[in-house]
Amino acid sequence: MNDAHLPVERLSIILGEVKEVRVTQKGPRRTRLDVAADALPALLELLKGRAGFVHLSAISCVDWPDDAQFELVYHLWSYELNLLVSAHTRIDRDPGVYVSVYDIYHPAGFFERDIHEMYGVFFEGAPDMEKFILTEWDGPPPMRKEFDSEGWVNDHFDWQDYRPDWLLELEAQGGGVMIPPDEQRFSRRGIEDNDDAG
Amino acid sequence: MTDTEQFPVRVEQPDRNGGNIFSRVFDELTAFCRSRSLFILHYCTGCGAIELPPAMTSRFDMERLGISPMVSPRQADILLITGYVSVKTLKRVMLTYEQMGSPKYVIGICSCTVNGGMYWQSYATAKKLNDYMPVDLYIAGCMPRPEAVITGLRQLMDKIAAGEANGWEDYYRRYDYYLGHQQRLFGETWQTPTDVIAEARHYGLFGPETLGDHTRLLEQHQAPLEALEMQLGLGAPDEVKA
Repeated sequence: MNDAHLPVERLSIILGEVKEVRVTQKGPRRTRLDVAADALPALLELLKGRAGFVHLSAISCVDWPDDAQFELVYHLWSYELNLLVSAHTRIDRDPGVYVSVYDIYHPAGFFERDIHEMYGVFFEGAPDMEKFILTEWDGPPPMRKEFDSEGWVNDHFDWQDYRPDWLLELEAQGGGVMIPPDEQRFSRRGIEDNDDAG
Repeated sequence: MTDTEQFPVRVEQPDRNGGNIFSRVFDELTAFCRSRSLFILHYCTGCGAIELPPAMTSRFDMERLGISPMVSPRQADILLITGYVSVKTLKRVMLTYEQMGSPKYVIGICSCTVNGGMYWQSYATAKKLNDYMPVDLYIAGCMPRPEAVITGLRQLMDKIAAGEANGWEDYYRRYDYYLGHQQRLFGETWQTPTDVIAEARHYGLFGPETLGDHTRLLEQHQAPLEALEMQLGLGAPDEVKA
């Protein structure tokens, strides 16, 4: 179409009304917006009301432990402009509290509940912050970077015996396991020698 | 009439076959017949389930081996675990397994049931299925093709015919071992509706390792089973609208 550039221009006009938003064009139909945490709900309201971004596809969360921050990404799609906008914002990691956008986008209730469960971010004003998928999990939020999944696994599970007696017969005939999994798992080297070797 | 007590017959568990010493004569025939009529409860936990429809239907047709799918655990012989078992799923698998009538067989399909597979590092999936229930046969692969599934089922048939697929007896004889692993993962208060210890006595499979530290822990926490309250409706009408 001749006016394929038009939606982007229309978006940029709307974005001109928001202060302190950094616009990055990631592709012909992908726009990245970086915005301060207190301006994000207003931005979403504007995008939904003026540009037809009625579809909140997902909210993703990124843990940046070195910056002591969580990054929240709101993925928005407009059926009128056929544009994907991802609105990025960063919040402090320590209290890990942010405001819910459930009043703007109802599907956000699910995403925020999921993020609360996986990262421990609390969303004020969200309808439900109960457990969602990990209903029987009482450990720390498992998607945080400081959660040592491998350590948890080593504490709670035994490993398969990769050198059983019956394998010796196969190995004598030239068969068997080429590289045992415990040698392939490079990060487990050393652990294996100490506890469950044999 | 001959006193059967005078026969020099050594029976491992006299109560097991109802005290009938001739039952051992028919064991071989029974095992043969049993191996030719198997019903599968396919608990499709992971990706391996996609290989079962071709194995069941006309292409590879496991029904020609006398194996067909069954929807209820009460009426099934084989529990087929097809793929990764998350910790939450494993609880349901344990409930399903304990509901099945003996003799019962467990097949673990895919690498994930053997050692966690590609989810070896994940906090959410169980690593070794045979820690929690006795597994008669593993079919490794990611995923195994229907040919491998059929070959595995034939091997299980051979094992049953030879009387070697006795994993379910092991669950009763060493219940403490399996319960210990379940408690390690699910917490100390873990309990199932099935009274496995009573079943072990019923089948004559009560052994020295049926009871132990873990079953004592179970007895401390065990709550009597209560019927669930029946609930109708979806809640208040205004809640549904919102």
